[in-house]
Amino acid sequence: MPKKINLDIAEVESREHRLGTIIAWDGKASDLHRESGYESRACGKKKDGCRLCEVKGPFTQGSVCSEQMVECQAGNVRDAVLIQHSPIGCGAGQVPYNSIYRNGLAMRHHKVENIRIINTNLIESDMVFGAAAKLKQSIDDAWERYQPKAIFIATSCATGIIGEDMESIAREKEAELKIPIIPIACEGFRSKHWSTGFDATQHGILRQLVKRNPKKQEDLVNVINLWGSDVFTPMLANLNLRVNYVVDLASVDDLEQLSEAAATVGFCYTLSSYMAAALEQHFGVPEVKAPMPYGFAGTDAWLREIAKVTHREDLVEQFIEAEHKRVAPRIAELKQKLKGIKGYVATGSAYAHGLIQVLRELDVEVNGSLVFHHDPVYDSGDPREDSLGHLIENYGDVGSFNVSNRQQYQFYGLLKEVNPDFILIRHNGLAPLASRMGIPAAPLGDEHIAIGYDGIVNLGESILDVLAHKKFHDDIKAHTKLPYKKWWLEQKDPYLLAKHPEVINE
Amino acid sequence: MAINKDKNGQTNSINQVRYGCALGALHSVTAIPGAMPIAHCGPGCVDKQYTSLAFYNGFQGGGYAGGSVTPSDNLGENEVIFGGEKKLSELISATLKIMEADLFVVLNGCIGEIVGDDVSSVVSKFQEKYVPIVYAETGGFKGNNFIGHEIITEAIIEQYVDKYAVDKDKKIKGLINVWSELPFQNTFWRGDLVELKRVIEGAGFQVNILFGNGSKGIEEWKTIPNAQFNLVVSPWMGLSTAKYLEKKYNQPYLHIPVLPIGAGQTAEFLRQIVEFAGLDITHVDEFIKREEKEYYYYLEHFTDFYAEYWWGLPATYAVVGDSIYNLAINKFLVNQLGLIPGKQIITDKAPEKYREAIAKEYAHLAEDVATTVEFVEDGYIVGEILRKTDFGHKPPIIFGTTWERDTAKALNGNIVEIGFPASYEVVLNKTYIGYRGALTLLENIFTAAISKSA
Repeated sequence: MPKKINLDIAEVESREHRLGTIIAWDGKASDLHRESGYESRACGKKKDGCRLCEVKGPFTQGSVCSEQMVECQAGNVRDAVLIQHSPIGCGAGQVPYNSIYRNGLAMRHHKVENIRIINTNLIESDMVFGAAAKLKQSIDDAWERYQPKAIFIATSCATGIIGEDMESIAREKEAELKIPIIPIACEGFRSKHWSTGFDATQHGILRQLVKRNPKKQEDLVNVINLWGSDVFTPMLANLNLRVNYVVDLASVDDLEQLSEAAATVGFCYTLSSYMAAALEQHFGVPEVKAPMPYGFAGTDAWLREIAKVTHREDLVEQFIEAEHKRVAPRIAELKQKLKGIKGYVATGSAYAHGLIQVLRELDVEVNGSLVFHHDPVYDSGDPREDSLGHLIENYGDVGSFNVSNRQQYQFYGLLKEVNPDFILIRHNGLAPLASRMGIPAAPLGDEHIAIGYDGIVNLGESILDVLAHKKFHDDIKAHTKLPYKKWWLEQKDPYLLAKHPEVINE
Repeated sequence: MAINKDKNGQTNSINQVRYGCALGALHSVTAIPGAMPIAHCGPGCVDKQYTSLAFYNGFQGGGYAGGSVTPSDNLGENEVIFGGEKKLSELISATLKIMEADLFVVLNGCIGEIVGDDVSSVVSKFQEKYVPIVYAETGGFKGNNFIGHEIITEAIIEQYVDKYAVDKDKKIKGLINVWSELPFQNTFWRGDLVELKRVIEGAGFQVNILFGNGSKGIEEWKTIPNAQFNLVVSPWMGLSTAKYLEKKYNQPYLHIPVLPIGAGQTAEFLRQIVEFAGLDITHVDEFIKREEKEYYYYLEHFTDFYAEYWWGLPATYAVVGDSIYNLAINKFLVNQLGLIPGKQIITDKAPEKYREAIAKEYAHLAEDVATTVEFVEDGYIVGEILRKTDFGHKPPIIFGTTWERDTAKALNGNIVEIGFPASYEVVLNKTYIGYRGALTLLENIFTAAISKSA
């Protein structure tokens, strides 16, 4: 049995402790899968030999932190406020997340308005004397300004080190204001991978917002997502199901009714693993344990499992058959146009597994992928969620499969080895390098673009669009100089510094 | 301990942030051609400052050494407990092995500063080996990126320029060090600094512009001690650097608070510099004449629109932004266009000691026009003040940031995004200053104003 998620503790347990997450690895997908040992880990058995080996070296470039993921989730709840208890630098995140939030609101047809994040703006003396009064003031300000239905309060590296007691302040203000005040432990230094920030937000929501005495809504499905366009509603309407999108762009009511749903699904296990498993374990909402909805095989299995869990088996086969028929001609055309094209996927972990499936569905050759981290197992421990295994089993191995936490200096060697015609990306940071190497990128800002049957078509079209950009990138390649030394650019192994740190002194 | 509210109701809270932290001034390093920051901080700090200041702010981009190029040791729990000096030292060695740059600037962030890492001793070991590297203490709780910029600038001069400059005592008549906009924070700094350099050179000077495409990188920085004087073109940022240089290299400085926009202001600006430098006035007059011929050629044609556009143009305005742009735009709108100041709000946390002098500038925007200015950093309060302002019988035009989009909509006004964050502008070399920038500003103001007509 997998370990049950513990909602009694105030701070979320980090991903590396729960799942054995790594942020550096080099090899083939099948090797990573074998060494991950999904099933034996899920059973709680120790693996033979060491843990999953991690090739971490002395050189790193700026990465991402958990607090950013809290901004991107808790900060995006429409009628809540997020308070960042931190020096002003963490507040810089308000700017990107505001733009993303506004664009997301527009895409999902909500009223467009500024994001509601407040920074407590700590200064040098606060590092010495503490800043409880500032946190309380900011909570009062949040209440006075917005009358939110809930207030999230996020920690920061600075408050983590000086030991601010945010839980007791939260309890005190909660009693006073009579709304949930939810502390989220998300110090950047606390976890080696920022996806712990997703879990931290979800942990707080599960502990303090989700209804304890739910009235079941048998046609409601929780979809754990970000800001993506609304592709789930029309798809699940075919099974007479309604969608409850969380966490981004949700209302507090939407979050409260998570426990009332008939099932929970996601578009990426990296994001949904914690929330979905906890909803099942603590609230009896079944998690749909299936491959993610990418490509025909994934989408078919995913729909069948949803139908099974929500007792709609009678509707699903007909829908699947009709959908296959509907998209087949366009996919055949796209395959023609994409013949001989080579792609590369550089995104978050589980999401990459899904995207590779879609590319292979389109007959695009994929020999390489970079993921920012790797979870050897997900929280449910159910082998049906083994997304890497599903990819390898149904669509074949990936020869160059690397874990690198957004490290551009390693990406150079990886791209050179694979030499793709385009890359798929989601997070910022890697496409600028690819561009300078003459390789166009399709940024999947709308994370739902590749989902389901239409997703295969959408992704194919998007690739054709970016292939046309190649002229720009070739031109840039000819006119820019990379910031790396010739010696480094000539190295074959992107993990050389980790494997042989002694070369640094040569 | 209770938190005091100021007269506008501002507490410690910052909603809708309008600057980065001291570490965010790593962008002042990437703004120097050939220089590269090395960040000693948490895993998200560099990305946050980049996506904020350099991406969702005109989509300026990271360039050679910014964005996800910047080396960072992404400190974890281990370094918080045991200290991060070893990790930093390893990162520097590895950086020197694989990254190509003329100058490295190590920036210490919150974690390193709180746990007490001795960055100075780590970096000095490399300095002893003649590695071109300096360090700056830029913990985020120390202040914003304006303060960080001054810390970094002085660190580079103290630890690098002073060591490697030749003939430090030699002064070159007509060579000026220019200290003006904050790179990347000022959305249009790249185009602006190019125009600033162009007009000052046009007046007969040699210019060390120091940041941006017009700078010759660290070779130029090494000539800082040779300048005849320092020119601070901003209400306050750069003054501390100028005073530091005055002491260090016996260089006088000229402080001109108004960044010049438009013909009138630019001519006045150039004549002030020429007078201070003790140069012959003929050369500058010729330049001004040439520039004005071009400027007024366009302005004359624009006159038809400005004089007889049927459908109404805005009369009052509000400016929300950093001191430098706020004052500069106010001067231009009043003196060139005859617009009526509604509400002016400075958001860059100008240090208290400079505020009185800044406010005085607004008291004489023109001989017959005076207004007041508010100092506010919390964006929520900015919105409240604007919404409560009486702009008269028609909606105002708001010069602000992306945060003001909702307010502009609520007031049924127009918005021109002139500062951080400008998340709905794509900016390459656009400038709003000098002669050429003023024309672009006119284009943008009135395109925004009339695009709502139908």
